[in-house]
Amino acid sequence: MPREAEPSLNEKQFVIQALQENLRLDGRELDQYRPLELTFGDQYGVADVTLGNTRILAKATAEVTVPYADRPLDGIFTIATELSPMTSPAFEVNRPTETEVLLSRLLEKTVRRSGALDTESLCLVAGQKCWSVRVDVHALSHDGNLTDAACLAVVAALRHFRKPDTSMEGGRLTVYTPAEREPVPLSWLHSPFCVTWSFFGDEGELAVLDATWLEEQVRVGSCTISLNKHGEICQIAKLGGTPVDAVALLQCTNVALTKVKEFSDLVDQKLAEDLKRRDKGGFMAELRAENDR
Amino acid sequence: MTATTAPEAALGVLPRSDGSAKYSHAGYTVTASVNGPIEAQRRDEHAYEAHVDVVVRPAAGVGGTRERHLESLLQSSLSQLILVKNFPRSLIQIVLQVEDSPENDYVNTKLVQASLNLAIMPALVQTAVLALLSAGVPMRATATATAIAIARQDGAQRIIVDPSPREIETGRSVHVLAFTSHGGLLLAESEGDFTVREWDEVYETARAICCRSAPAKDGMAMLLDDEATGGPDMRHFLRSTMESKVVADLHWK
Repeated sequence: MPREAEPSLNEKQFVIQALQENLRLDGRELDQYRPLELTFGDQYGVADVTLGNTRILAKATAEVTVPYADRPLDGIFTIATELSPMTSPAFEVNRPTETEVLLSRLLEKTVRRSGALDTESLCLVAGQKCWSVRVDVHALSHDGNLTDAACLAVVAALRHFRKPDTSMEGGRLTVYTPAEREPVPLSWLHSPFCVTWSFFGDEGELAVLDATWLEEQVRVGSCTISLNKHGEICQIAKLGGTPVDAVALLQCTNVALTKVKEFSDLVDQKLAEDLKRRDKGGFMAELRAENDR
Repeated sequence: MTATTAPEAALGVLPRSDGSAKYSHAGYTVTASVNGPIEAQRRDEHAYEAHVDVVVRPAAGVGGTRERHLESLLQSSLSQLILVKNFPRSLIQIVLQVEDSPENDYVNTKLVQASLNLAIMPALVQTAVLALLSAGVPMRATATATAIAIARQDGAQRIIVDPSPREIETGRSVHVLAFTSHGGLLLAESEGDFTVREWDEVYETARAICCRSAPAKDGMAMLLDDEATGGPDMRHFLRSTMESKVVADLHWK
Protein backbone atom coordinates (compact mmCIF):
# COMPACT_ATOMS: atom_id res chain seq x y z
CA MET A 1 0.00 0.00 0.00
CA PRO A 2 1.26 3.49 -0.75
CA ARG A 3 2.44 5.52 2.21
CA GLU A 4 0.68 8.72 3.10
CA ALA A 5 2.62 11.67 1.63
CA GLU A 6 4.27 13.79 4.33
CA PRO A 7 4.04 17.57 4.10
CA SER A 8 7.15 19.23 2.70
CA LEU A 9 9.53 21.28 4.84
CA ASN A 10 8.13 24.50 3.40
CA GLU A 11 4.58 23.45 4.15
CA LYS A 12 5.52 22.50 7.72
CA GLN A 13 7.26 25.79 8.42
CA PHE A 14 4.43 27.74 6.87
CA VAL A 15 1.86 26.09 9.13
CA ILE A 16 3.98 26.52 12.26
CA GLN A 17 4.87 30.12 11.56
CA ALA A 18 1.25 30.98 10.85
CA LEU A 19 0.21 29.37 14.12
CA GLN A 20 2.82 31.39 16.00
CA GLU A 21 1.14 34.49 14.59
CA ASN A 22 -2.22 33.15 15.83
CA LEU A 23 -3.37 32.32 12.32
CA ARG A 24 -4.71 29.05 10.97
CA LEU A 25 -4.84 28.05 7.33
CA ASP A 26 -8.64 27.81 7.34
CA GLY A 27 -9.08 31.11 9.17
CA ARG A 28 -10.30 29.64 12.44
CA GLU A 29 -9.45 30.79 15.97
CA LEU A 30 -6.99 28.54 17.81
CA ASP A 31 -9.75 27.21 20.06
CA GLN A 32 -12.46 26.92 17.44
CA TYR A 33 -13.91 23.72 16.01
CA ARG A 34 -14.70 23.23 12.36
CA PRO A 35 -18.42 23.22 11.52
CA LEU A 36 -19.90 20.18 13.22
CA GLU A 37 -22.87 18.35 11.74
CA LEU A 38 -24.75 15.43 13.18
CA THR A 39 -27.42 13.48 11.30
CA PHE A 40 -29.30 10.31 12.19
CA GLY A 41 -30.22 7.56 9.75
CA ASP A 42 -33.60 6.05 9.05
CA GLN A 43 -32.80 3.14 11.32
CA TYR A 44 -32.28 3.48 15.05
CA GLY A 45 -28.68 3.80 16.15
CA VAL A 46 -27.08 5.24 13.03
CA ALA A 47 -25.20 8.53 13.53
CA ASP A 48 -23.25 10.39 10.90
CA VAL A 49 -20.83 13.07 12.16
CA THR A 50 -19.16 15.54 9.84
CA LEU A 51 -16.40 17.74 11.24
CA GLY A 52 -15.03 19.81 8.38
CA ASN A 53 -13.75 17.19 5.96
CA THR A 54 -13.63 14.45 8.57
CA ARG A 55 -16.61 12.14 8.42
CA ILE A 56 -17.52 9.32 10.79
CA LEU A 57 -20.43 6.91 10.65
CA ALA A 58 -21.35 4.94 13.78
CA LYS A 59 -23.91 2.17 13.95
CA ALA A 60 -25.15 0.50 17.10
CA THR A 61 -26.63 -3.01 17.10
CA ALA A 62 -27.77 -5.44 19.79
CA GLU A 63 -28.22 -9.18 19.93
CA VAL A 64 -28.87 -11.76 22.63
CA THR A 65 -25.85 -13.84 23.66
CA VAL A 66 -24.37 -15.70 26.64
CA PRO A 67 -22.56 -13.42 29.15
CA TYR A 68 -18.91 -13.90 30.04
CA ALA A 69 -18.41 -16.60 32.69
CA ASP A 70 -16.59 -14.22 35.07
CA ARG A 71 -19.29 -11.52 34.77
CA PRO A 72 -22.62 -13.35 34.84
CA LEU A 73 -24.61 -10.24 35.82
CA ASP A 74 -23.26 -7.91 33.13
CA GLY A 75 -24.17 -7.52 29.50
CA ILE A 76 -21.55 -7.16 26.79
CA PHE A 77 -20.64 -3.81 25.30
CA THR A 78 -18.03 -3.46 22.57
CA ILE A 79 -16.83 -0.66 20.34
CA ALA A 80 -15.33 -1.79 17.06
CA THR A 81 -13.11 0.65 15.19
CA GLU A 82 -11.70 -0.45 11.90
CA LEU A 83 -10.15 2.02 9.50
CA SER A 84 -10.73 0.88 5.94
CA PRO A 85 -8.85 1.87 2.78
CA MET A 86 -11.74 4.31 2.30
CA THR A 87 -10.22 6.50 5.03
CA SER A 88 -6.89 6.51 3.25
CA PRO A 89 -5.27 3.96 0.91
CA ALA A 90 -2.46 3.70 3.47
CA PHE A 91 -4.76 1.65 5.71
CA GLU A 92 -5.04 -2.01 4.91
CA VAL A 93 -7.88 -4.40 5.59
CA ASN A 94 -7.28 -6.62 8.64
CA ARG A 95 -4.02 -4.95 9.56
CA PRO A 96 -4.51 -2.43 12.38
CA THR A 97 -2.26 0.60 12.33
CA GLU A 98 -1.16 2.65 15.32
CA THR A 99 -3.84 5.29 14.64
CA GLU A 100 -6.52 2.65 14.75
CA VAL A 101 -5.28 1.02 17.98
CA LEU A 102 -5.01 4.39 19.74
CA LEU A 103 -8.45 5.44 18.55
CA SER A 104 -10.15 2.28 19.75
CA ARG A 105 -8.35 2.42 23.11
CA LEU A 106 -9.38 6.05 23.64
CA LEU A 107 -13.00 5.31 22.79
CA GLU A 108 -12.93 2.29 25.05
CA LYS A 109 -11.59 4.35 27.97
CA THR A 110 -13.96 7.25 27.36
CA VAL A 111 -17.26 5.49 26.73
CA ARG A 112 -16.94 1.98 28.14
CA ARG A 113 -14.75 2.34 31.20
CA SER A 114 -16.46 5.55 32.33
CA GLY A 115 -19.67 3.57 32.73
CA ALA A 116 -21.70 5.65 30.30
CA LEU A 117 -23.81 2.60 29.44
CA ASP A 118 -25.22 0.65 32.37
CA THR A 119 -24.07 -2.88 31.44
CA GLU A 120 -26.00 -4.46 34.33
CA SER A 121 -29.24 -3.39 32.66
CA LEU A 122 -28.26 -5.50 29.64
CA CYS A 123 -28.49 -8.71 31.67
CA LEU A 124 -31.59 -10.78 30.87
CA VAL A 125 -31.10 -14.09 32.72
CA ALA A 126 -28.13 -14.14 35.14
CA GLY A 127 -25.31 -16.23 33.72
CA GLN A 128 -27.35 -17.39 30.75
CA LYS A 129 -28.69 -14.61 28.55
CA CYS A 130 -27.69 -11.01 28.08
CA TRP A 131 -27.68 -8.31 25.44
CA SER A 132 -24.51 -7.73 23.51
CA VAL A 133 -24.42 -4.12 22.34
CA ARG A 134 -21.94 -3.35 19.64
CA VAL A 135 -21.01 -0.04 18.05
CA ASP A 136 -19.21 -0.07 14.72
CA VAL A 137 -17.24 3.06 13.94
CA HIS A 138 -16.57 3.65 10.24
CA ALA A 139 -14.20 6.46 9.34
CA LEU A 140 -15.30 7.51 5.86
CA SER A 141 -12.95 10.43 5.48
CA HIS A 142 -9.94 11.45 7.57
CA ASP A 143 -8.97 15.09 7.78
CA GLY A 144 -7.64 15.19 11.32
CA ASN A 145 -9.24 14.89 14.75
CA LEU A 146 -10.74 11.43 14.27
CA THR A 147 -10.97 10.96 18.05
CA ASP A 148 -13.37 13.79 18.85
CA ALA A 149 -15.61 13.06 15.87
CA ALA A 150 -15.64 9.30 16.56
CA CYS A 151 -16.47 9.79 20.23
CA LEU A 152 -19.35 12.11 19.40
CA ALA A 153 -20.64 9.65 16.80
CA VAL A 154 -20.50 6.72 19.24
CA VAL A 155 -22.32 8.63 21.99
CA ALA A 156 -24.95 9.94 19.56
CA ALA A 157 -25.49 6.49 18.02
CA LEU A 158 -25.93 4.82 21.41
CA ARG A 159 -28.34 7.47 22.64
CA HIS A 160 -30.34 7.19 19.44
CA PHE A 161 -30.35 3.39 19.52
CA ARG A 162 -33.38 1.29 20.51
CA LYS A 163 -33.08 -2.39 21.37
CA PRO A 164 -35.92 -4.89 20.99
CA ASP A 165 -38.26 -5.10 23.97
CA THR A 166 -38.19 -8.26 26.10
CA SER A 167 -40.33 -9.85 28.78
CA MET A 168 -39.88 -12.67 31.29
CA GLU A 169 -42.81 -14.90 32.13
CA GLY A 170 -42.33 -18.00 34.24
CA GLY A 171 -38.68 -18.39 33.30
CA ARG A 172 -39.48 -17.96 29.61
CA LEU A 173 -37.75 -15.10 27.87
CA THR A 174 -39.50 -13.46 24.93
CA VAL A 175 -37.73 -11.03 22.60
CA TYR A 176 -40.29 -8.98 20.69
CA THR A 177 -39.76 -8.03 17.07
CA PRO A 178 -40.19 -4.36 16.06
CA ALA A 179 -43.57 -5.26 14.53
CA GLU A 180 -44.87 -6.59 17.87
CA ARG A 181 -43.56 -3.99 20.29
CA GLU A 182 -41.85 -0.66 19.92
CA PRO A 183 -38.10 -1.07 20.69
CA VAL A 184 -36.80 0.53 23.91
CA PRO A 185 -33.82 2.86 24.49
CA LEU A 186 -30.68 1.79 26.37
CA SER A 187 -30.17 2.78 29.98
CA TRP A 188 -27.72 5.63 29.47
CA LEU A 189 -26.04 7.26 32.47
CA HIS A 190 -23.95 10.15 31.16
CA SER A 191 -22.52 11.38 27.89
CA PRO A 192 -18.74 11.72 27.80
CA PHE A 193 -17.07 13.59 24.93
CA CYS A 194 -13.44 13.86 23.84
CA VAL A 195 -11.65 17.15 23.28
CA THR A 196 -8.21 16.91 21.71
CA TRP A 197 -5.62 19.64 22.08
CA SER A 198 -2.61 19.74 19.78
CA PHE A 199 0.60 21.44 20.87
CA PHE A 200 2.96 23.36 18.65
CA GLY A 201 6.24 25.20 19.16
CA ASP A 202 9.51 24.04 20.73
CA GLU A 203 8.12 24.04 24.27
CA GLY A 204 4.62 23.04 23.27
CA GLU A 205 3.46 26.53 24.28
CA LEU A 206 0.83 26.83 21.53
CA ALA A 207 -2.34 24.87 22.21
CA VAL A 208 -4.73 24.38 19.31
CA LEU A 209 -8.15 22.69 19.21
CA ASP A 210 -9.47 20.43 16.43
CA ALA A 211 -6.31 20.08 14.34
CA THR A 212 -6.67 19.25 10.67
CA TRP A 213 -4.68 16.40 9.12
CA LEU A 214 -1.93 18.78 8.02
CA GLU A 215 -1.68 20.28 11.49
CA GLU A 216 -1.68 16.81 13.05
CA GLN A 217 1.34 15.92 10.96
CA VAL A 218 3.41 18.86 12.23
CA ARG A 219 2.34 19.01 15.90
CA VAL A 220 4.81 18.21 18.69
CA GLY A 221 2.29 16.58 20.99
CA SER A 222 -1.37 16.11 21.72
CA CYS A 223 -3.60 15.59 24.70
CA THR A 224 -7.10 14.12 24.68
CA ILE A 225 -9.37 15.06 27.56
CA SER A 226 -12.65 13.18 28.00
CA LEU A 227 -15.31 14.62 30.24
CA ASN A 228 -19.05 15.05 30.48
CA LYS A 229 -21.07 18.23 30.74
CA HIS A 230 -20.98 18.13 34.56
CA GLY A 231 -17.21 18.53 34.39
CA GLU A 232 -16.46 14.98 35.52
CA ILE A 233 -13.23 13.93 33.83
CA CYS A 234 -13.24 10.37 32.49
CA GLN A 235 -9.67 10.23 31.26
CA ILE A 236 -6.77 12.37 30.15
CA ALA A 237 -4.37 10.88 27.63
CA LYS A 238 -1.12 12.53 26.69
CA LEU A 239 0.81 9.91 24.81
CA GLY A 240 4.42 11.01 24.48
CA GLY A 241 5.42 14.17 22.67
CA THR A 242 6.89 17.35 24.11
CA PRO A 243 6.20 17.97 27.84
CA VAL A 244 3.56 20.59 28.47
CA ASP A 245 3.26 23.00 31.37
CA ALA A 246 0.79 21.75 34.00
CA VAL A 247 -0.90 25.15 34.41
CA ALA A 248 -1.46 25.35 30.65
CA LEU A 249 -3.04 21.90 30.78
CA LEU A 250 -5.44 23.08 33.50
CA GLN A 251 -6.44 25.97 31.26
CA CYS A 252 -7.00 23.47 28.43
CA THR A 253 -9.30 21.41 30.66
CA ASN A 254 -11.42 24.48 31.43
CA VAL A 255 -11.86 25.29 27.74
CA ALA A 256 -12.61 21.60 27.08
CA LEU A 257 -15.52 21.80 29.53
CA THR A 258 -17.18 24.63 27.60
CA LYS A 259 -16.73 22.70 24.35
CA VAL A 260 -18.21 19.55 25.87
CA LYS A 261 -21.24 21.54 27.00
CA GLU A 262 -21.70 22.69 23.40
CA PHE A 263 -21.43 19.10 22.13
CA SER A 264 -23.88 17.90 24.73
CA ASP A 265 -26.40 20.58 23.77
CA LEU A 266 -25.97 19.72 20.09
CA VAL A 267 -26.63 16.01 20.64
CA ASP A 268 -29.64 16.75 22.86
CA GLN A 269 -31.08 19.13 20.28
CA LYS A 270 -30.55 16.76 17.34
CA LEU A 271 -32.06 13.84 19.26
CA ALA A 272 -35.11 15.93 20.09
CA GLU A 273 -35.49 16.94 16.43
CA ASP A 274 -35.19 13.33 15.32
CA LEU A 275 -37.78 12.20 17.86
CA LYS A 276 -40.18 14.83 16.57
CA ARG A 277 -39.58 13.65 12.99
CA ARG A 278 -40.34 10.04 13.91
CA ASP A 279 -43.30 10.71 16.17
CA LYS A 280 -46.26 9.81 14.02
CA GLY A 281 -48.75 10.06 16.87
CA GLY A 282 -52.26 8.64 16.57
CA PHE A 283 -52.85 4.91 16.63
CA MET A 284 -49.19 3.89 16.62
CA ALA A 285 -48.56 6.14 19.62
CA GLU A 286 -51.32 4.38 21.54
CA LEU A 287 -49.90 0.96 20.73
CA ARG A 288 -46.50 1.85 22.16
CA ALA A 289 -45.38 -0.34 25.05
CA GLU A 290 -43.67 2.44 27.01
CA ASN A 291 -45.47 5.17 28.89
CA ASP A 292 -44.55 8.58 30.28
CA ARG A 293 -43.44 7.23 33.64
CA MET B 1 -38.82 2.90 7.55
CA THR B 2 -40.12 4.08 4.22
CA ALA B 3 -38.21 2.87 1.21
CA THR B 4 -37.66 5.53 -1.40
CA THR B 5 -38.93 4.59 -4.83
CA ALA B 6 -36.69 6.82 -6.91
CA PRO B 7 -32.94 6.20 -6.70
CA GLU B 8 -30.79 9.01 -5.32
CA ALA B 9 -27.09 9.59 -5.81
CA ALA B 10 -24.38 12.10 -5.00
CA LEU B 11 -20.92 12.12 -6.52
CA GLY B 12 -17.65 13.20 -4.94
CA VAL B 13 -18.89 13.01 -1.36
CA LEU B 14 -15.53 12.08 0.18
CA PRO B 15 -12.91 14.80 -0.22
CA ARG B 16 -9.80 12.68 0.23
CA SER B 17 -10.34 9.82 -2.23
CA ASP B 18 -9.90 9.96 -6.01
CA GLY B 19 -13.58 9.37 -6.61
CA SER B 20 -16.58 8.64 -4.45
CA ALA B 21 -20.32 8.23 -4.63
CA LYS B 22 -23.25 7.80 -2.32
CA TYR B 23 -26.25 5.95 -3.65
CA SER B 24 -29.55 5.07 -2.07
CA HIS B 25 -32.39 3.08 -3.53
CA ALA B 26 -35.02 0.68 -2.17
CA GLY B 27 -33.87 1.22 1.42
CA TYR B 28 -30.21 0.51 0.72
CA THR B 29 -27.65 3.26 1.17
CA VAL B 30 -24.08 2.60 0.08
CA THR B 31 -21.05 4.89 -0.02
CA ALA B 32 -18.13 3.98 -2.23
CA SER B 33 -14.65 5.34 -2.62
CA VAL B 34 -12.31 4.61 -5.51
CA ASN B 35 -8.57 5.10 -5.43
CA GLY B 36 -6.63 4.30 -8.50
CA PRO B 37 -4.55 3.60 -10.34
CA ILE B 38 -2.24 3.36 -7.31
CA GLU B 39 0.81 1.29 -6.46
CA ALA B 40 -0.05 -2.38 -6.05
CA GLN B 41 1.41 -4.69 -3.48
CA ARG B 42 3.79 -7.34 -4.76
CA ARG B 43 1.30 -10.16 -4.24
CA ASP B 44 -1.45 -8.31 -6.18
CA GLU B 45 0.75 -7.14 -9.01
CA HIS B 46 -0.06 -8.42 -12.50
CA ALA B 47 2.48 -7.86 -15.24
CA TYR B 48 -0.05 -6.95 -17.92
CA GLU B 49 -3.09 -5.54 -16.18
CA ALA B 50 -4.34 -3.63 -13.18
CA HIS B 51 -5.61 -5.49 -10.17
CA VAL B 52 -9.15 -4.53 -9.18
CA ASP B 53 -9.56 -4.75 -5.42
CA VAL B 54 -13.11 -4.65 -4.08
CA VAL B 55 -13.80 -4.35 -0.36
CA VAL B 56 -17.38 -4.63 0.90
CA ARG B 57 -17.87 -3.49 4.48
CA PRO B 58 -21.15 -4.19 6.29
CA ALA B 59 -22.77 -1.48 8.39
CA ALA B 60 -22.54 -3.61 11.52
CA GLY B 61 -20.17 -6.41 12.43
CA VAL B 62 -17.10 -7.59 10.60
CA GLY B 63 -17.24 -8.84 7.05
CA GLY B 64 -17.47 -12.58 6.70
CA THR B 65 -17.95 -15.15 3.99
CA ARG B 66 -20.98 -13.48 2.50
CA GLU B 67 -19.13 -10.20 2.02
CA ARG B 68 -16.22 -12.13 0.47
CA HIS B 69 -18.67 -13.74 -1.95
CA LEU B 70 -20.19 -10.38 -2.92
CA GLU B 71 -16.66 -9.03 -3.38
CA SER B 72 -15.71 -11.85 -5.73
CA LEU B 73 -18.87 -11.34 -7.80
CA LEU B 74 -18.24 -7.60 -8.03
CA GLN B 75 -14.56 -8.03 -8.73
CA SER B 76 -15.15 -10.27 -11.73
CA SER B 77 -17.90 -8.02 -13.12
CA LEU B 78 -16.02 -4.74 -12.65
CA SER B 79 -12.78 -6.14 -14.12
CA GLN B 80 -14.76 -6.68 -17.31
CA LEU B 81 -15.77 -3.01 -17.38
CA ILE B 82 -12.55 -1.27 -16.38
CA LEU B 83 -9.83 -1.06 -19.03
CA VAL B 84 -7.40 -2.99 -16.84
CA LYS B 85 -4.87 -3.48 -19.64
CA ASN B 86 -4.21 0.28 -19.61
CA PHE B 87 -2.64 0.17 -16.14
CA PRO B 88 -0.24 -2.75 -15.81
CA ARG B 89 1.24 -3.41 -12.32
CA SER B 90 -1.15 -1.04 -10.60
CA LEU B 91 -4.15 -1.30 -8.34
CA ILE B 92 -7.66 0.09 -8.56
CA GLN B 93 -9.17 -0.02 -5.13
CA ILE B 94 -12.93 0.14 -4.61
CA VAL B 95 -14.27 0.28 -1.07
CA LEU B 96 -18.01 -0.10 -0.61
CA GLN B 97 -19.39 0.83 2.78
CA VAL B 98 -22.96 -0.23 3.42
CA GLU B 99 -24.63 2.47 5.49
CA ASP B 100 -28.22 1.38 5.64
CA SER B 101 -30.15 -1.67 4.59
CA PRO B 102 -33.87 -2.28 4.98
CA GLU B 103 -34.88 -4.36 7.97
CA ASN B 104 -37.48 -7.02 8.27
CA ASP B 105 -39.79 -5.91 11.08
CA TYR B 106 -41.08 -9.45 11.58
CA VAL B 107 -37.81 -11.02 12.70
CA ASN B 108 -34.96 -9.99 14.98
CA THR B 109 -31.89 -10.19 12.78
CA LYS B 110 -28.66 -11.76 13.90
CA LEU B 111 -25.49 -9.79 13.40
CA VAL B 112 -23.44 -12.42 11.59
CA GLN B 113 -25.37 -14.07 8.82
CA ALA B 114 -23.97 -16.66 6.48
CA SER B 115 -26.83 -16.59 4.00
CA LEU B 116 -26.33 -14.72 0.76
CA ASN B 117 -27.86 -11.27 0.56
CA LEU B 118 -28.47 -10.89 -3.16
CA ALA B 119 -30.84 -7.95 -2.88
CA ILE B 120 -27.99 -5.61 -1.92
CA MET B 121 -26.09 -6.44 -5.11
CA PRO B 122 -27.72 -3.82 -7.41
CA ALA B 123 -26.95 -1.03 -4.93
CA LEU B 124 -23.32 -2.19 -4.73
CA VAL B 125 -22.94 -2.36 -8.52
CA GLN B 126 -24.55 1.05 -9.09
CA THR B 127 -22.46 2.73 -6.38
CA ALA B 128 -19.24 1.17 -7.64
CA VAL B 129 -19.94 2.32 -11.22
CA LEU B 130 -20.80 5.85 -10.08
CA ALA B 131 -17.64 6.04 -7.95
CA LEU B 132 -15.51 4.76 -10.84
CA LEU B 133 -17.01 7.43 -13.09
CA SER B 134 -16.36 10.03 -10.43
CA ALA B 135 -12.71 8.91 -10.18
CA GLY B 136 -12.34 9.10 -13.95
CA VAL B 137 -11.18 5.50 -14.30
CA PRO B 138 -11.34 4.54 -18.00
CA MET B 139 -14.09 2.00 -18.62
CA ARG B 140 -15.35 0.02 -21.58
CA ALA B 141 -18.98 0.68 -20.64
CA THR B 142 -21.04 1.62 -17.63
CA ALA B 143 -23.41 -0.82 -15.97
CA THR B 144 -26.86 -0.82 -14.42
CA ALA B 145 -28.33 -3.48 -12.19
CA THR B 146 -31.60 -4.50 -10.64
CA ALA B 147 -33.03 -7.08 -8.25
CA ILE B 148 -36.19 -9.01 -9.01
CA ALA B 149 -38.13 -11.50 -6.89
CA ILE B 150 -40.79 -13.97 -7.93
CA ALA B 151 -43.59 -14.54 -5.47
CA ARG B 152 -46.64 -16.75 -5.74
CA GLN B 153 -49.80 -14.94 -4.81
CA ASP B 154 -53.26 -16.53 -4.98
CA GLY B 155 -52.01 -19.21 -7.32
CA ALA B 156 -50.63 -16.70 -9.83
CA GLN B 157 -46.99 -15.80 -9.92
CA ARG B 158 -46.01 -12.19 -9.53
CA ILE B 159 -42.79 -10.40 -10.41
CA ILE B 160 -41.57 -7.89 -7.81
CA VAL B 161 -38.96 -5.31 -8.74
CA ASP B 162 -36.65 -4.19 -5.88
CA PRO B 163 -38.14 -6.57 -3.31
CA SER B 164 -38.14 -5.78 0.41
CA PRO B 165 -36.58 -8.29 2.87
CA ARG B 166 -40.08 -9.48 3.75
CA GLU B 167 -40.93 -10.12 0.10
CA ILE B 168 -37.67 -12.02 -0.39
CA GLU B 169 -38.42 -14.18 2.63
CA THR B 170 -41.92 -15.06 1.46
CA GLY B 171 -41.09 -15.18 -2.24
CA ARG B 172 -39.82 -18.18 -4.17
CA SER B 173 -36.74 -16.88 -5.90
CA VAL B 174 -34.53 -13.79 -6.14
CA HIS B 175 -32.58 -12.73 -9.19
CA VAL B 176 -29.97 -10.04 -9.70
CA LEU B 177 -29.13 -8.96 -13.22
CA ALA B 178 -26.68 -6.34 -14.42
CA PHE B 179 -26.38 -5.03 -17.95
CA THR B 180 -23.68 -2.98 -19.61
CA SER B 181 -24.57 0.25 -21.39
CA HIS B 182 -24.24 -1.65 -24.69
CA GLY B 183 -27.08 -3.91 -23.58
CA GLY B 184 -24.97 -6.97 -22.84
CA LEU B 185 -25.68 -9.14 -19.82
CA LEU B 186 -22.92 -8.57 -17.27
CA LEU B 187 -24.06 -10.43 -14.20
CA ALA B 188 -26.85 -12.92 -13.51
CA GLU B 189 -27.21 -14.42 -10.06
CA SER B 190 -30.26 -16.35 -8.95
CA GLU B 191 -31.34 -17.98 -5.74
CA GLY B 192 -34.36 -20.19 -5.04
CA ASP B 193 -36.84 -22.23 -7.05
CA PHE B 194 -37.65 -21.14 -10.60
CA THR B 195 -38.23 -22.46 -14.11
CA VAL B 196 -36.51 -21.43 -17.33
CA ARG B 197 -39.66 -19.63 -18.46
CA GLU B 198 -39.75 -17.63 -15.23
CA TRP B 199 -36.12 -16.71 -15.69
CA ASP B 200 -36.82 -15.51 -19.23
CA GLU B 201 -39.57 -13.32 -17.88
CA VAL B 202 -37.24 -11.94 -15.20
CA TYR B 203 -34.62 -11.28 -17.86
CA GLU B 204 -37.07 -9.28 -19.99
CA THR B 205 -38.25 -7.22 -17.00
CA ALA B 206 -34.68 -6.50 -15.87
CA ARG B 207 -33.67 -5.56 -19.39
CA ALA B 208 -36.57 -3.14 -19.62
CA ILE B 209 -35.45 -1.46 -16.38
CA CYS B 210 -31.71 -1.41 -17.03
CA CYS B 211 -31.45 -0.88 -20.78
CA ARG B 212 -34.32 1.35 -21.75
CA SER B 213 -33.04 3.63 -24.47
CA ALA B 214 -33.35 7.14 -23.07
CA PRO B 215 -36.50 8.61 -24.57
CA ALA B 216 -36.73 12.31 -25.33
CA LYS B 217 -39.89 12.58 -23.31
CA ASP B 218 -40.55 15.06 -20.60
CA GLY B 219 -42.63 15.49 -17.48
CA MET B 220 -45.89 13.62 -17.56
CA ALA B 221 -45.04 11.19 -20.34
CA MET B 222 -42.03 9.96 -18.39
CA LEU B 223 -44.07 9.49 -15.23
CA LEU B 224 -46.65 7.44 -17.06
CA ASP B 225 -43.95 5.42 -18.70
CA ASP B 226 -42.43 4.54 -15.33
CA GLU B 227 -45.72 3.29 -14.05
CA ALA B 228 -46.37 1.19 -17.13
CA THR B 229 -43.18 -0.88 -16.82
CA GLY B 230 -43.21 -0.90 -13.02
CA GLY B 231 -39.65 0.24 -12.38
CA PRO B 232 -37.25 3.12 -12.57
CA ASP B 233 -35.18 3.75 -15.68
CA MET B 234 -31.69 3.02 -14.39
CA ARG B 235 -29.72 4.00 -17.46
CA HIS B 236 -31.39 7.36 -17.66
CA PHE B 237 -30.78 7.84 -13.95
CA LEU B 238 -27.05 7.13 -14.32
CA ARG B 239 -26.82 9.53 -17.22
CA SER B 240 -28.71 12.37 -15.57
CA THR B 241 -26.63 12.00 -12.37
CA MET B 242 -23.41 12.32 -14.35
CA GLU B 243 -24.77 15.20 -16.40
CA SER B 244 -25.78 17.22 -13.34
CA LYS B 245 -22.36 16.58 -11.77
CA VAL B 246 -20.58 17.76 -14.92
CA VAL B 247 -22.78 20.86 -15.11
CA ALA B 248 -22.02 21.66 -11.45
CA ASP B 249 -18.27 21.11 -11.97
CA LEU B 250 -18.11 23.30 -15.07
CA HIS B 251 -20.15 26.04 -13.45
CA TRP B 252 -17.17 28.41 -13.46
CA LYS B 253 -16.79 28.36 -17.24
